[in-house]
Amino acid sequence: MKRLTHLPTLKIDTSKKISVYYRSKTHTGWYGDTIATLLYADGIRVFGRSLKYHRPRGLYSLDGECSNTMMAVDGRPNVRAETTMAADGMHIAAQNVQGTSEKPVESTPEKDWMGFMDHLSWAMPAGFYYRIFHKPEKLWPIAVSRIRKAAGVGVLTSGYTVKGRYDEIYPATDVCVVGGGPAGMEAALSAADKGLRVILMESRPWLGGFYDYRTSLDADGVPLYRKANAMAERIAGYPNIRVFKNAPVVGVYGNSMVTAFQRGGRDRPFEQRYIEIQTRSIVVAAGCIERPLLFENNERPGVMQMGCAHRLARTWGILPGRRAVFSIGHDLGLEAAIDLADLGMKVVHVADVREDGQDQRLLDELKKRDIPFSRGWTAIKAGGKRNIEKVTIGTVNGMRRREFSCDTLAASAGLTPVTGPLATAGAKLEYHHLTGFFLPVKLPDNVYAAGRLLGLNDPASVEASGRLNGLRAAAACGVRVDSELKAAEAETSVLPGPVRNSKMVTAPVKNQKMFICFDEDTTVKNVDQAMDRGFDVPELIKRFTAAGTGPGQGGVPGHNLPLYVAQRGDSPDVDPRPITVRPPLTPVLLATYAGRNHDMHKRTPVHESQSASDGRMDRAGVWLRARYFSDDRRSRREIENVRGNVGVLDASTLGKFRIFGNDALKALQRVYIGDMNRVREHRMTYAAMCNDDGCLIDDGVIVKQAENDYYFTTSTGRSGATIEWIRYHTRYENLDFHMVNLTDAFGVINLAGPNSRNVLQKIADVDISNEAFPFMGYREFTINDIIPVRAMRLGFVGELSYELHVPSSYMQAVWDLLEKAGKSFKIKKFGLEAQNTLRLEKCHVIIGSESEQRTTLCDLGLGFLWCKSKPEANTVGSVALRQTENQSGRLKLVGFKMKNGLERPPKDGSPIVDSRIRGYVCTARFSFTLNEPIGMALVEDSYAKPGSVFGIYENGCKGRLIRAEVVKTPFYDPTGERMKS
Amino acid sequence: MSRTITCPVCGRRNGYEFRFGGEDKGPRPEEEGMSPEKWFEYTHLNDCKAGIRKEWWFHRDGCGVWFTIFRDTASNREVVRPPERELEAVP
Amino acid sequence: MIIYQRRSPVVFPSRPLKTDIRDNWTVVLEYADEGDGPYVIDLSHKVKWDVQSADISNIKPFGLTIPEKPGECLFKNSVLAGRLNRTQAMVWDLSETPSETPDQNSFTDVTEAQLLMAIVGREASQIFEKLTALDFNDPGKKSPYVLQGPVSHVPSRVVSLRSSEPPVFLLSCSRGYGHSMVEAVLDAGREWDMTAAGENMFLSFF
Repeated sequence: MKRLTHLPTLKIDTSKKISVYYRSKTHTGWYGDTIATLLYADGIRVFGRSLKYHRPRGLYSLDGECSNTMMAVDGRPNVRAETTMAADGMHIAAQNVQGTSEKPVESTPEKDWMGFMDHLSWAMPAGFYYRIFHKPEKLWPIAVSRIRKAAGVGVLTSGYTVKGRYDEIYPATDVCVVGGGPAGMEAALSAADKGLRVILMESRPWLGGFYDYRTSLDADGVPLYRKANAMAERIAGYPNIRVFKNAPVVGVYGNSMVTAFQRGGRDRPFEQRYIEIQTRSIVVAAGCIERPLLFENNERPGVMQMGCAHRLARTWGILPGRRAVFSIGHDLGLEAAIDLADLGMKVVHVADVREDGQDQRLLDELKKRDIPFSRGWTAIKAGGKRNIEKVTIGTVNGMRRREFSCDTLAASAGLTPVTGPLATAGAKLEYHHLTGFFLPVKLPDNVYAAGRLLGLNDPASVEASGRLNGLRAAAACGVRVDSELKAAEAETSVLPGPVRNSKMVTAPVKNQKMFICFDEDTTVKNVDQAMDRGFDVPELIKRFTAAGTGPGQGGVPGHNLPLYVAQRGDSPDVDPRPITVRPPLTPVLLATYAGRNHDMHKRTPVHESQSASDGRMDRAGVWLRARYFSDDRRSRREIENVRGNVGVLDASTLGKFRIFGNDALKALQRVYIGDMNRVREHRMTYAAMCNDDGCLIDDGVIVKQAENDYYFTTSTGRSGATIEWIRYHTRYENLDFHMVNLTDAFGVINLAGPNSRNVLQKIADVDISNEAFPFMGYREFTINDIIPVRAMRLGFVGELSYELHVPSSYMQAVWDLLEKAGKSFKIKKFGLEAQNTLRLEKCHVIIGSESEQRTTLCDLGLGFLWCKSKPEANTVGSVALRQTENQSGRLKLVGFKMKNGLERPPKDGSPIVDSRIRGYVCTARFSFTLNEPIGMALVEDSYAKPGSVFGIYENGCKGRLIRAEVVKTPFYDPTGERMKS
Repeated sequence: MSRTITCPVCGRRNGYEFRFGGEDKGPRPEEEGMSPEKWFEYTHLNDCKAGIRKEWWFHRDGCGVWFTIFRDTASNREVVRPPERELEAVP
Repeated sequence: MIIYQRRSPVVFPSRPLKTDIRDNWTVVLEYADEGDGPYVIDLSHKVKWDVQSADISNIKPFGLTIPEKPGECLFKNSVLAGRLNRTQAMVWDLSETPSETPDQNSFTDVTEAQLLMAIVGREASQIFEKLTALDFNDPGKKSPYVLQGPVSHVPSRVVSLRSSEPPVFLLSCSRGYGHSMVEAVLDAGREWDMTAAGENMFLSFF
């Protein structure tokens, strides 16, 4: 096809050719072509087949308002051909076409053996899925597989992975303007003139809105497209206006956030990127789209929006066809007909649904060109199998008809405002009788609406509305603009206001093939069926008929459905009610939401060396930790080496804090359940924290470094919340204390096993004999006068063991030293799994494993940690502990062994049952030390005494309970001799 | 996410940076004669009324400070300190 | 004397060209293929203090007056002092020869607790825009200043040290995030061919 190459409004670069593959052929267009315009220019009219009825579908809008032109591109389904720029070498395929070729890529939507589905539409009334396929249940799988095959749009091939970079940015601004048309640009300029930062969002690849393709003149005699260019140039001169083009808005949230995505491509650093804008005020100037006209076969290829026909020619240099009929309801349609006639298209007839209200100058122009024009006429039926060949038009009252042969029908009922951004922001929309639009009656604070979407039509009014609301948005940011606001308000008051629009929805025909929603193949008849079944609210009819639930996000049926429902409804005095609009206003790729998706986690200072020695690094909260050092999931060798020789564990993830200041002790007394007053200088104590319910939430040790200056540890999981916790529980008092999170400042090595003293003595420069450094002792020493070490004698795994806190940067050096020093003592790394079994043998609890939301300190048998004689401290947990101390019916922690010689421990979490649930297994493991399975469980009092036997229900036990007996604890070294000697 | 919260130290920030600390219920009541019901109410129950509430928030990802704001729970927007008349409803 | 090597949490994929051993840290002075920026530079070995006191306005670390308003910073003689909240400040010594910890209870040496990276270049604020919603383009703020908030979801402190010729940012967060943060920062900067650079590059800007 010969393209128009010398129009000043073109957005294509005719010096750069672009070639794509479609149906095994190369199609060539120009840089700036979308996939849809490139194919259309090369004669393609049928782009795909519809969801249910396999009807041929073609180019209808140019902004992706329906799924008609969704295609597969390079294996990715459902690419919007209208809004995706064509790029060299793209492989394009039609969707939902069957039978024309073995290879789906070669399928031609012009032929589709499923096309007969169109003749079966009588068998598929509204809601037929729900009504027909629910009984008998046996039918489900068959129905599902059949329907899946017949219906649908794109197909995702298995193993397909999304290619390309998906980026994200989080810009901040003062004013965010949604829509880069004349109103949006004026709003941006007037806010930017006040020195504010402005972000301007435009979904098309250029600014200009409904000006950019039009050559008609404004009041000063300037062509509108030139005006748009001049405004865009002015905007480019403002360093404080940031423009995002090709960036549809996804949603507006409250009055402070706008999210959008930007289409990239091969010449951009991203395929798509997510944009999350923080703003102080918002102007929505998203303009209007066209409201479809409903008549028989209103979606046949060749039928397109008036703006689509006009922009094809003006923006892309493509005449939509040779002979066109226009059936329109807005002056923009008259303008399009005149302009297209001037560009060389034969306009055989213009039917206008309006009886009056046309711009007389346009009517004169039509007359000048001998274009027949009729008022109160509308398209009745489009004829032709794959592309229209003829059109029947008739009077709105159905009295008279005429037929024309043509290949293009530019049809639309009128305009509809793009209020989605306002609706998602929480604006209340109501039907407006003059315009026939759903317009905002109440806007959230700091959110403003401007331009054509308010029903304005005159260019001067649209621009003034932009200026006014740009100023309002500036005022919302605290800029004083009183006098200018007054002037802008005065300016708009003398300009034309909102105009009356056509309210026509359906042509005067009764036919089931009038499509109210193209995406879901929903016809007007389907809506009638839904209403006949008693649905009366558009929102419900939408769900029953699926109208507006497709990829177009309601762009096509959004306005027509409520209008039609109101017109057909029983109470004519009830205003149409809008359908709820939700984000995403424009569909976004999930890959875009995934974004760069870095897994942000912490690594300990000896991460690399552990993972190099076969350490399986697993996620534990924010950290990666070594779980095993072999393939043995029970870690037998690691366990036996700790019991027999010496093991080394990386415990760097423990929380570590400094607390100091005049009220430091007071703060500790508040949150620790024990008496912190008893800790002496350079000594250590074990302590626990409870919550207000008396439940154990944390434990660790506290070292007193000096008066009101402490170093304390917390469990790994609690370290992130410790400062928050302590400050929360002192928030009403102006206490003088300070905390420093030193969790990452120290690496922690747990050296455990009977040989651990021998190993440590080789590197420590002080006496660490049992007398000099006893159990629960704290020492500070240095390694070779260089590396400071804080050492604690603790016994979590039940052996002689040391916890060494060393500066993180030196951690690897100390770790290496110990491994070297311990070589002759058979030192071996152990992981979390080994530690878990080792501490289980000692019945040392892990919070969250042996406790849950209801488990108090006393339930765990740790009541001795609670100091009852410090009421002045208002200790967190003390009230609840007092109230629950002797409460019956609480789950208590017990140890158990298996009855009947079972050699396998039950699964963690298995319930303990008799006639009802009596508790559950917390942790159970095979103890290699005792050579039998052991476990801890939380059980009701009745089962808590040693000797009690209970039954454990395990998944898949088929009703045969596993018997276990409560035994005295701990299982291993009950006197604690091994860890104390 | 549309909620923004004004931290007295860091200024207006995205609500995701903060942790909710419940409605402001005043300092801990006297322990003397405290019934389990009263304690439960103090530690766990919020009024959850639609309207302007005084709430505690913690700037977890920022400066680490607990502070109170007024929030209209009906609109999920932070509001400036309401006039005394409306404040009566706020504990 | 035995040298125990101190390790930085920040490891770049680039090959170090020149290194220096300083206080047992291996400081990379220059990397291969440093390019024309933007740069990311490891400064984790620089000495950092957390300063907290109810009487913080009377504390004068190295003669510097700690700024009054949270977020404000002072940068003098290679020492940066920033106010964090009513009772807290941070002091970073960015000089080549680290100072001793002042003999004051209110100082805590947090060099080991936090990593520190400099992000330098014309595109630095655009790189941050990809990592965080923190606003570094606000014309109302004058460098140097510090913002506390999430960077790539990790609670961080970011100092805008200077705003031009070229802009210099300092990013600090918990040391354990080193690996993840390097990955996130380099990925954000890839669009502008960001490279790792050594300490010499950092010093060349002052």
